[in-house]
Amino acid sequence: MARIIKVSKLNYRYPDGTIGLKDVSFEVEEGETMVIIGANGTGKSTLFMNLMGILDGDGYIEVVGLMLNKTNLKDIRRGMGMVFQNPDDQLFCPTVMDDVSFGPLNLGLNADQVTEASQKALALVDLQGYESRTSHHLSFGEKKRAAIATVLSMNPGILLLDEPTSGLDPRSVSKFINILYTLKSQGKTLLIVTHDLFLTQEIADRVLVFSEEKKPVAVGDYKEILNNYDLLLKNNLVHQHRHRHDEVVHDHEHRHGYIHEH
Amino acid sequence: MKSTNSLLEKLDPRTKIISFLSIILCMILTPITRIRDFGLYFLLIVAIGFCSKITPWQILKKVCILIPFIFFIAMFVPFIKEGNVCLSLEIGNWKFDITYEGVWTFLNIIVKSTLSIFLLVTATSTTTFPDFLKGLDMLRVPRLLVMIMSFMYRYIFVLIDEARRLMRARSLRYFGSRYKEQFRVIGYMIGVLFIRTYERAERIYSAMIIRGFSGEALSVKRFRFSSMDILFLVGIIVSLVCIVSGLVHKIEHIRVSGAHLWQGL
Repeated sequence: MARIIKVSKLNYRYPDGTIGLKDVSFEVEEGETMVIIGANGTGKSTLFMNLMGILDGDGYIEVVGLMLNKTNLKDIRRGMGMVFQNPDDQLFCPTVMDDVSFGPLNLGLNADQVTEASQKALALVDLQGYESRTSHHLSFGEKKRAAIATVLSMNPGILLLDEPTSGLDPRSVSKFINILYTLKSQGKTLLIVTHDLFLTQEIADRVLVFSEEKKPVAVGDYKEILNNYDLLLKNNLVHQHRHRHDEVVHDHEHRHGYIHEH
Repeated sequence: MKSTNSLLEKLDPRTKIISFLSIILCMILTPITRIRDFGLYFLLIVAIGFCSKITPWQILKKVCILIPFIFFIAMFVPFIKEGNVCLSLEIGNWKFDITYEGVWTFLNIIVKSTLSIFLLVTATSTTTFPDFLKGLDMLRVPRLLVMIMSFMYRYIFVLIDEARRLMRARSLRYFGSRYKEQFRVIGYMIGVLFIRTYERAERIYSAMIIRGFSGEALSVKRFRFSSMDILFLVGIIVSLVCIVSGLVHKIEHIRVSGAHLWQGL
């Protein structure tokens, strides 16, 4: 498989001086699903903002063979879509159809192509018939799926998903995982930011672990990473709290949303 | 908006915007002394309402919500406007003079705004807001203005929710003491709401540029003028010309109750 994303020695500092990213380097293969895990505030979303060229960090970013800079930003954004954590940020048009067709229209497609691409994207996320619905009348799960459709309608090869399952009920999560499987089977490259280890176990090919020092500390096969208890514990992805098993209450390590093991 | 599948609903939003604005403009420019003209405007609005298939009760319900506001604004005018006194009221040591000019101005405000509200309610009941915005855009209303209206429509509920959450968080921790301190807290809340709104605007803009936004608001939905639109528009224009030119009743001035009523107009 060919390399599709390369990040090398990427550093980012927020205007107030806070460190956002520290010496980030990794590579992603085409068609791969890489899940980036880390505790809150470890710079995962900041990394996505840098990959999309919204934030301008120091370092080298290469996407589909193009070095990210201001001149080829548009070309890169044609091939790489990002879904924000909060769907209300992604859905800014009065109706769902307006939102889903926003990207293809800006790509310069004609009306028929735009309609076709939008319908296809809505079908993929199981939102047919929602075209004329206003976004603020959708449930949170529907909003999340509509947000994905807004990017899928542009048919990007690479998808960046920021906390896609946060705030979703179990049925919505399983619907979401099905969508991700479909995208995976279509050969899309997926980069997913989450701290949901259940989702990671379900969908990841490889896992990149971010530490609380805002830098990656491990990358590898999902089984290898998820079975490394020390690594997960050290990076605030596993914690200890009291558990009740029938009448017995005791402390032991526990993975967020992951299989409960003793 | 509940679909009624009426003639008015099927019309191009541009037709509705142009015709309704024309009616409002003509009403505004018609002197209030031409009472019969306003009767004709009312009949025209009733005819439009009939085309919308909305029940009079539904329209009246919405109109009645807005009328008190206008009445409240206009009710002081007869007492404030200077001119020929038609009635003096004495309450204790207070003396109030009602002038002819004030009464006419009061009628001017009430009649014109009530008819405009009737029209507006009919328009909003038969046109969705997104279609209305598209109509404005296609009529070459400045795009920036249309986009601001679109964002307002999309995010006003999000902001109201945000403000409600802040209010709820405050009220759960406020037990009625330190009354003056609360003004400061409300100030903080307004500040927080402003910062959150600003940050949200930044994220929305990021979401827009990621999807190729370059300053132009494009839409896949297209409207076309049909023969029905042209007929409706011609009908409205002909009706307005007849009313404004006085063709219908050929009476330049109407005698209401006496010549002195016209003084000062």
